[in-house]
Parts: sequence; structure tokens; C-alpha cells
Amino acid sequence: MAVAAAAAAARIWGSSRGLGQAGLLLLRRPGAWGLARSLPQRRAQQHFPSLDDKPQFPGASAEFVDKLEFIQPNVISGIPVYRVMDRQGQIINPSEDPHLPQEKVLKFYKSMTLLNTMDRILYESQRQGRISFYMTNYGEEGTHVGSAAALDNTDLVFGQYREAGVLMYRDYPLELFMAQCYGNASDLGKGRQMPVHYGCKERHFVTISSPLATQIPQAVGAAYAAKRANANRVVICYFGEGAASEGDAHAGFNFAATLECPIIFFCRNNGYAISTPTSEQYRGDGIAARGPGYGIMSIRVDGNDVFAVYNATKEARRRAVAENQPFLIEAMTYRIGHHSTSDDSSAYRSVDEVSYWDKQDHPISRLRHHLQGRGWWDEEQEKAWRKQSRKKVMEAFEQAERKPKPSPSLLFSDVYQEMPPQLRKQQEALARHLQTYGEHYPLDHFEK
Amino acid sequence: MAALAALAATVGGLLRLRAAGAEGQWRRLRGAGLLRGLLQPDSATGVAAQRRHVAHFTFQPDPEPQEYGQTQKMNLFQAITSALDNSLAKDPTAVIFGEDVAFGGVFRCTVGLRDKYGKDRVFNTPLCEQGIVGFGIGVAVTGATAIAEIQFADYIFPAFDQIVNEAAKYRYRSGDLFNCGSLTIRAPWGCVGHGALYHSQSPEAFFAHCPGIKVVVPRSPFQAKGLLLSCIEDKNPCIFFEPKILYRAAVEQVPVEPYNIPLSQAEVIQEGSDVTLVAWGTQVHVIREVASMAQEKLGVSCEVIDLRTILPWDMDTVCKSVIKTGRLLISHEAPLTGGFASEISSTVQEECFLNLEAPISRVCGYDTPFPHIFEPFYIPDKWKCYDALRKMINY
Repeated sequence: MAVAAAAAAARIWGSSRGLGQAGLLLLRRPGAWGLARSLPQRRAQQHFPSLDDKPQFPGASAEFVDKLEFIQPNVISGIPVYRVMDRQGQIINPSEDPHLPQEKVLKFYKSMTLLNTMDRILYESQRQGRISFYMTNYGEEGTHVGSAAALDNTDLVFGQYREAGVLMYRDYPLELFMAQCYGNASDLGKGRQMPVHYGCKERHFVTISSPLATQIPQAVGAAYAAKRANANRVVICYFGEGAASEGDAHAGFNFAATLECPIIFFCRNNGYAISTPTSEQYRGDGIAARGPGYGIMSIRVDGNDVFAVYNATKEARRRAVAENQPFLIEAMTYRIGHHSTSDDSSAYRSVDEVSYWDKQDHPISRLRHHLQGRGWWDEEQEKAWRKQSRKKVMEAFEQAERKPKPSPSLLFSDVYQEMPPQLRKQQEALARHLQTYGEHYPLDHFEK
Repeated sequence: MAALAALAATVGGLLRLRAAGAEGQWRRLRGAGLLRGLLQPDSATGVAAQRRHVAHFTFQPDPEPQEYGQTQKMNLFQAITSALDNSLAKDPTAVIFGEDVAFGGVFRCTVGLRDKYGKDRVFNTPLCEQGIVGFGIGVAVTGATAIAEIQFADYIFPAFDQIVNEAAKYRYRSGDLFNCGSLTIRAPWGCVGHGALYHSQSPEAFFAHCPGIKVVVPRSPFQAKGLLLSCIEDKNPCIFFEPKILYRAAVEQVPVEPYNIPLSQAEVIQEGSDVTLVAWGTQVHVIREVASMAQEKLGVSCEVIDLRTILPWDMDTVCKSVIKTGRLLISHEAPLTGGFASEISSTVQEECFLNLEAPISRVCGYDTPFPHIFEPFYIPDKWKCYDALRKMINY
């Protein structure tokens, strides 16, 4: 306040050097500026007010301090966890209730449970050798659905690999989930990637890639382009707390802040990166505490509380687009399943620990209790829905199994927009090879 | 990643000095009062002081192009600026970004563009190559045109993952649902006389091994503008390497309006019957001179080919030439082992085996990092190329 007034005074008095006499008078107020009091001699000798004692470095705007003291990172009581429901699904603070209509909340529940059912069946199918690989989403369904529900349908999504619930909420058909996992001829990805590497142009879900965190700076670029296009669009970028250690994460955060991009960084902190617990992943206060270091608005939420996730994402979206600035949401949750079908997590964590989260703090059961509390759901409907969702999944599953794989000629297309001559020669070479040696290849399972 | 902007600023200065003659520099320094006491004239020490060498090549401008309208005298960086200017004028989604591009760039390639097109279209990024390329991919994914600058090709490696694992594979892995075809990455490339390990590299071979991207190297201002425009308009992610030693040294008439030079098409810049010489970038001017030397001293007629696009490369033109001449010499500054000459050599011996009169010759940099003081010995200069050619002829 004193500074602003003094500056204004300087303009009136036409002083070209700092604040001039008027400023000095303002600053002489005891307690306003300690320096002024401690250096009376200087004031008498010079016309420079004590405001010039403020550091002028271009790199930071801050006061001087004359006591040596290191800033202590506050990890013991870190950034608090925002929640709306308690573990029994009761709204704690009514003013935080998003007051969503029944239909919408039921969609939350059905998306999460359908995903859960699909996960069980596809995990099993890998165990039986029907698909090569799978990753479940157990325990994190709330982070997917709560955030997806708070976005517009056209908001662009960059994911890591454990966000299938976002696609599920956007009504990606079971048939296409399965097609990608089976790599069959219906797969829009043309069978090129391992299972769970989904992508959908129609639903604005950018195809997943295995390298971690690479999507983060990409999401920032997409957000920048959306800003330039006045698209009124936000980009959301999901990643785990492990991926947040990658250099690309640092790059993405810094670019988003300096280039003022309408992006939501959504970190699923689920406690593990394969076998690496968070205590070995970082020493600071999680991911949310990094945001302010980049100048990014940040919050930590209870990822197993679908309303908390919803509220935070909704507000972040509104402001990111309105103010063209990034937001960081760290959704605390727990990875109930193994990292993937190639992992057996009993090798590095106790069955009791997993069981606690499965039984005591699961996003699906919390929402179910909430729904039941409202009278929007009951045991009858639960039984009926379990049966129905299982049936839907099994039907899609059996269909996906029966379909052939895409033609081997699709091995060669889309490397470039147009096929270069040497690649065409290689394609022809494979065709000729198969004419002679075709019996040694599983051609029966592939389209021509 | 010490981006020595000062170095860049002096490159131009030094190249000018080169033209004036190396002695001029020492005379000027001797005159300066401060140094008078410190510098001994040569005669005092008895050992000839090393003069700064003149460039190892002579830039040969192409004749003024007739078919693209009005032309203007431009050097390489001005031709680049012209291409970028044309792109931003034509394509409202196009943006240029990287380190220091806002004020005009350390090699002055983006001078004037921010004022002309606005700070939302020509802007600095933080100092982070993986971020620059990742960001560029994201811009391109939305369909907008992204022109990313990496300050020196030597610093492209932090972005290697984004280029190889992401950009190159975007279309393929998504089944053509998504792509980043509107991304172009530009970087200064190649030796500059004093660049040493980290301001001289030619990393095209690393990227040649990566299906999904295109890699292009121009030899001149006219070529650069046309090829860069083609890269920007190409629907695949492209890397455009700009020979930094040519930024000021190469001057020729360049059309003011936009024009395209096709990618993946090599150019036979001189026809001949006895030997095929292949190079790209700065080295094209070296082998051009070698062709003259061969004609003059050995009566040998050389066919000189500028490859222009490294990936996908024009096998047909090279093989057609070797079928005619029976002899092939490939030359590049990058180290010999695993350099792109090995790919050309391998393909040519497969396709043209019975036509070959002599083993294919590769005249390249040694398998060392790029040295500073030893640069004159390191580079594949005209004498090494000439000697290799002579041996091939006498095989």
C-alpha cells in the first residue's frame, strides 16, 4: 500500500528518481519500513528513498533479509486434501455439494462399475492367454469419472495409460475397448499397439503411448493452440506420480506457466510406480507442492471422492479457460490392482494394505453409499446392474475374440501420410515371402 | 547445453574477417593499446603464429532462378526468414518458437517476424529442448502449424525421445487417428570453423534410422527456402538442418514469393560419366570443387549429386547415376562409422553390384568427437576427397 501511494506521489511530484520527498515522508512511518528507521544517516545524505534498498534483480521480486535461514520444506503437514464426502459417502460440508442431478450421478456410478467389470474380465482373459497384456484401473475409477464429468465433451484429453474411465464416461463402446485389446480388425488403431493403448478422435482422447510423461509437454502445446484458436477448450493431461519425476513433466509445467496455457494437469497419485513407493519417488510434499514452484495454481484432492474430483476439475476448467493459466490437481488415491498383468504386487506390498483400500476406501463403494443414502440406488438395482453390466461385457468380449485380425499389409501404412517407395518395396517383399512361406505364419487369423 | 549466443554473434563477425584475410585480425589486435605489451610480433618468437584458416570450401551460387518471379539477393539466414515470413503470412495457425527466437534468433533467422506477426505467433520458450519439441508436437496434434527451433543441432538430443518415440510414431501408432504432420524442427548444423564438439555436429544419421520423420539438409539459400517451405507444408514431421557456416557466406538470388522444392528428390547438379559424387549441405560445395580438380588434373568427368533429403532418400537418382558411372564417392562431415554414407553404400552395392568398377568410397569425419583446434585435420576436405577419387579411378 505504502509503495503504491509513494509511487503515485512520485508521478505527481515529477520525480524521476525513485519516490522523491513525498515518498520519503510516507516511508518514514515507524514500522512501515525497518530500513528507513535503521539508516537515518543515509536519508540525510541522499535523496534515494529506502525503497531503492529493494532488490532490483530481474530474476526475482522479493525483499532482502539479513538473517541466514533456509526454507524448510513442509512435508509433515503438507498441502491439505480436499474432500466433499466422508468415507461413508456422506456430504461433509453442504455448500460443497455439487448438487448434480440423479441421472448424472448414476452415470458416474455406472461408468465406474462397468469399467470395473470390464477390467475383471479382460485381466482374466490375459491370464488365459487370450490377450497379451492388460492394465486394470482398480481403485482409481473416481479420478477418471469425476474429472471427465467436469469437462466439456470436446475438451482434449492426453492420458498416460490408467485413464480408461475417462473414455468410458465419454461412452466409448465396449466393442472398441476390446477391439484394441485384441488387436482385431475393428480396432481403430489398426492393431499396432499393445492393449490399453486406446485412442479416439471422435471423443477427443489422444492415443496413449507407452513412454511416460511424454504427453505432458504435448498437452501444453495443444492447449496453446486451443488458446490461439479461441476454441474455449481446455486440455487435460493425466499422469501418475511416478511419471511426474520425468524431465518432460518439468518441461510441461514450466512451459504451461510461461506460455499461459489453458491446461489442467491431473496427477493420479496412487502410491506406487510399479514397485516403487512414493517415499522413493520424491522427498517433497507430493506433486501438488511443485505447482507453486512453477507459478501454477495447485490443489490436492481426495481422488476416491468423485465429487471432490468433480468440483476441483470443474473450477479448474472454468478458470483455466477464462484466465489462460494452468491448474495442477493432485488426486490422492490408491492402486488396488497390480501395475499390469506382468506384475505381482505381493512381491512389494502386503495383502492387508491392499485389502484396506479395497474394503474401506473405495471410490465405487463410497459413491454407492452416497446413492443409497439419497434413495437413488438399492440392492435390487445393484444386483440387476451387476448382471446387466457383466452380460454387456461378456457379449463384447466374445465378439472381439471371434473377429479376425487386420490384414498384414496394414503393417506398412501410416508411417508417413504417403507410403515411400522403399517401404512399398518392403511391403511387396513380405507379400512375396508369404506366398512361399505362408504356412509358417498365422495367416488364418488375419484378414487378407 | 551452453548455447553460446556470443559465439553465434561472432560467427558472422569472424566469417567477415575471413573474407578480409586472417592477417587483418592480428594487425587490429596488435594496434590495440591494451594488448601491445602482450603480443609479440611473429619475428620476435621465431615461430609463425597460426593464422585463422579460410573456409575449406567456396560457396558456388546457382544461377538466378527464372520461374518463380522476382528475386532478391539473400544469404542463407535471410532465405530462411523469407520462408518463415511466407509461411506465417499464408497460414494463420503457424507459430514459431524456441530459445531466443523473439529478438530475431542467435543466427538472425527470425528477425522482424515477431513485430510483423505478433508475440503470440513468434515467441521464446524456456530453455528446454524436450519441452520445445514436445510442445511443438502438441500444437501440431491440434492441426496448427508448429515451427520449432533448436538452437544448435548439437542440442537436439534431449528432444530425441519426443522426436523418435513420439513425433515419428504418432500417426502409425494411432492408426492415423492422430498425427503431428504439421511439425517442423529447424536446427543449425555442421562445422563452422571453430565450433568444436558442441557447435559443429551433423546428427542426421541418428534420425535416418527413424521411420516416420523426414530429414532435410539444403546446400544454399535458394534450396533452403524451397525445401523449408516444403517441410513446413509436408504432412509429416520434418527436421530441417541448416548449415550454419553458410548463413552469411552463401549469397544468391532467391525468389521473394513462396515456392517449393520437392522432398525426397536428389539433384544432379553436374552431369558426368566416370564417377558419382554424393554429398549434402556444405559438403556439396566441397565435392563440386573436387569435380573441377578431377577434370583438370585427371581428366575425369564427375557426376555431382546433392542428396537434399536424407530420409526418405532418393535411391533411384543415386543408383541410376552409379549404373552409368560405375564409381561412387560419398562424403559427409559426420563420423564415418554409422554415418549416412554407410546406408547409401550398402544400398548401392545391393542394387548396382555388377556395375561397380571399384569399391564405394566414403570420405567422412573421423570416429572422434568434433575437435576444436584440429578442425582443419578433421574435416573431409577437398584434398581427402580428391585423393580418394584418385584411388578409385586407379583401382
